[in-house]
Amino acid sequence: MDLSIRGIVKRFGPLTALDSVSLDVPHGTFVCFLGPSGCGKTTLLRVIAGLELADAGEIRLGERDLSRTPARDRNFGVVFQSYSLFPNMSAAKNIAYGLECRGWSKPAIAERVEAMLKLIQLADHAHKLPAQLSGGQQQRVALARAIAPDPSLLLLDEPLSALDAKVREELRTEIRALQRRLGITTIMVTHDQEEAMSMADLVIVMNGGRIEQAGRPVDLYAAPQTTFVANFMGRMNLISVNIAADGRPVFAGMPLTLAGTAQATTRTLGIRPEAVWLLPAGAEGDNIFPATVREVVFLGNITRVAASPDAAPDTRLAIELHGAATAPAIGDAVAVALPAAALRVLT
Amino acid sequence: MTAAAHPGEAPAPTGFFSSDRFAGYLLTAAVLLPMLAFLVLPLSAILLYSLRGPGGIGLENFTHTFGAPRFWTLVVNSVVMSVVSTVGTVVLAYGYAYGLARAKVPFTGLWRIVALLPLFAPSLVQAQGLILLVGRNGVFNRFLGFDIDIYGFWGVVISNLLAAFPYAFLILSAALAVADGRLYESAEALGARPLRIFRTVTLPATRYGIAAACFVSFTLVITDFGNPMVIGGDFNVLATEVYNQVIGQAQFGLGAVIGVVLLLPAALGKIIEKRIARKQHALITAQSKPLVIRPALGRDVAWSAFVVAVGVLIISVLAIVIVASFVRLWPYNMTLTLRHYEFDVQNGTAPIWNSIFVSFASAIAGVALAGLCAIVVQKVRTPLSGPLSLMAILPSAVPGMVLGLGYVLAFNAAANPLNVLYGSFALIIILNVYYNHSQAFLITSTSLNQIGGSFDEASTMLGASMTRTLGKITLPLIWPTLLGVGVFYFMRSMVSLSAVIFLINPSTQVAAVSVLQLSDRGAVNQAAAFSVCIMAVVVGCLALVRLVLVATGHRNITLIR
Repeated sequence: MDLSIRGIVKRFGPLTALDSVSLDVPHGTFVCFLGPSGCGKTTLLRVIAGLELADAGEIRLGERDLSRTPARDRNFGVVFQSYSLFPNMSAAKNIAYGLECRGWSKPAIAERVEAMLKLIQLADHAHKLPAQLSGGQQQRVALARAIAPDPSLLLLDEPLSALDAKVREELRTEIRALQRRLGITTIMVTHDQEEAMSMADLVIVMNGGRIEQAGRPVDLYAAPQTTFVANFMGRMNLISVNIAADGRPVFAGMPLTLAGTAQATTRTLGIRPEAVWLLPAGAEGDNIFPATVREVVFLGNITRVAASPDAAPDTRLAIELHGAATAPAIGDAVAVALPAAALRVLT
Repeated sequence: MTAAAHPGEAPAPTGFFSSDRFAGYLLTAAVLLPMLAFLVLPLSAILLYSLRGPGGIGLENFTHTFGAPRFWTLVVNSVVMSVVSTVGTVVLAYGYAYGLARAKVPFTGLWRIVALLPLFAPSLVQAQGLILLVGRNGVFNRFLGFDIDIYGFWGVVISNLLAAFPYAFLILSAALAVADGRLYESAEALGARPLRIFRTVTLPATRYGIAAACFVSFTLVITDFGNPMVIGGDFNVLATEVYNQVIGQAQFGLGAVIGVVLLLPAALGKIIEKRIARKQHALITAQSKPLVIRPALGRDVAWSAFVVAVGVLIISVLAIVIVASFVRLWPYNMTLTLRHYEFDVQNGTAPIWNSIFVSFASAIAGVALAGLCAIVVQKVRTPLSGPLSLMAILPSAVPGMVLGLGYVLAFNAAANPLNVLYGSFALIIILNVYYNHSQAFLITSTSLNQIGGSFDEASTMLGASMTRTLGKITLPLIWPTLLGVGVFYFMRSMVSLSAVIFLINPSTQVAAVSVLQLSDRGAVNQAAAFSVCIMAVVVGCLALVRLVLVATGHRNITLIR
């Protein structure tokens, strides 16, 4: 069943945490809410879960309106950042809890718990208390507990942020594989763009209580629409432009060629560091500027170069050279090319 | 879209009649209704009675009371006595806590327990012990050739000082326990001498603790009733006057006026203390490092001497009571005997059993009501949560005597359908529950806060009802705290005198009241035996519960508060 969210508004006193948020999550997809802390992503997740009541708006799962349904009757599974495993119950008891709440028979519960423990490869740890499990194991139990009652939606609230880097990477793959296998619609909140890009079918970038941009990871990276998204999803050079009378943007005294079209109000263009070309001095053509190298940082597989166009010495363009490229030296005269296909109009 | 369009699906319960909201309102009512009946009603009764004179509603009682010169003598007596006692107790407790926290005093753990000993007995034990030490027939006057007259102002001051000591000590040792070692190191590195370091670093860091200790002690002392009764002689204070007006002369209106007068400093002190307590927390940051005490011979010897001196004073006042309970007839016949433990006085051992029963029942009822109140305030969001939490901490600003008087006024009235409770143990138990309600509520709330709301949310999302979450998750997690609250209730109910004094009749006599009545009659040895029994029961209960907690692996539960 598809999840549909329409015009959700949530205020905490004078603060508007969610400002009319709408989005659609097709059945079986893995969605990430991505944004800095305070952007409203966790509040949106909690509203969907029913742990917060929205001031306005509507949440539908399939044809069913869930806006006024109490959290416990929504049949959603949640995994919290802090695991929230009940400390007084063993791993098996934790997993059984949701099934007991639904009045399953004892043999059915035992069977399901065993299957779940096998699924997360913790069958040997069934009778351990949470305190006797490692962080990664606890989070796997929390995951099993959430999906055991066969929820119609799985909500993950920064489930990996409390774990160390290696375990985090393992669990990323594990969660994603599990989600694909069960085909369960999943929403995950994260502030880690790498996590979002590597796991999600659909990324919702949020900022200031609004959805900034939504799309596939590759689209968000390649074609950000705003400076916020551009900066949040990796690094991007921001170029200030003026719009000439013919409608073309002008940078460093030279009109630029674009693949897309600029608006009269356009002030900023963006280009990824790896898309900028570094050419020998004297090169000419569309979008090519004579420039001077300001900084060179060698990082092994890549080399970061900063160069300033001679006609706009205050602008520093970050350029990434891959492989064993012959890097220029600081102060070298070069030319930089901004390929039209890689230039993005940002708002 | 309504559920009717989907015949296969049951409609999700919504609105008031969803089971969780219903349970929420039910629990709120279970907490709120008794609170209205047994806290708000008695306090209103006091205000009402203070305004109701022979000539109808008005300020007549107040003008009558305020017009009498005797009243102003009592006010001056009460205030001067309380100020002197407070200053004394805070100075001694500060030194004692400072010595234990900032110098190397041997047997620190032992001296901490000694400081808390007065909590294990009714406050008037201090007066009892003081009389046995320096009274007319006391050790000093009788055997050592002194000629001290302890009855009156100084007797009340000293016995109240000792009674308030553990309260001040608990606050001050908490304030002195936290210290930012970096501040001391920099002060030392800058060449400050110890006295200057104390004046510029220690004192500013603990001034909130000092203020809080002052307010708590002052409130305790000005509302204490047992000590001036036993050792006051002709020296009368407001607290004893309420008793005389109500019990002696049945002047309920005038008693109520003085009750209102006593309510003022207590309530004011509470408000200021709360303000102060809020500021205390910001002193220590995550970067602070603990202060390490290095040995320094001169300082350590001096503080050890001070701690031992105060400790011995506390012990000797209590020890002399224990001794007196075992001798035939103090001070004339000092042969050892167990005859005072035969309790061949009126009611026999009944008051002790009554006390144990009342305290045990208060512990159970108190844990249920105050614990439930904390749970309702934190977990059930209704429009009543705000007023409820305010009411829950209201009793901390009400002196026990005033609340007890309120119970007489409210439940002795024929118009009150609850007046069947009057004269029964039930009402005494309920009084104990609400008299100690705020601390029990705060202890439970703190514990719930430490657990946080995430277990509740996890449980809810797994489909559990509120009552299931409560039974399966919340209660199993906080039971050690609730046990601690039970002990607190038991201890306070065993030793409390001023709250229950108005509700006692011969068939509901409790041990603390027996001590007062026997002392009043001059039955010194029997009174001492009753006091010793109270202390023994309290210590036994503490030891038992500590054993249970240690056996179940809960070491960090505070039992003595």
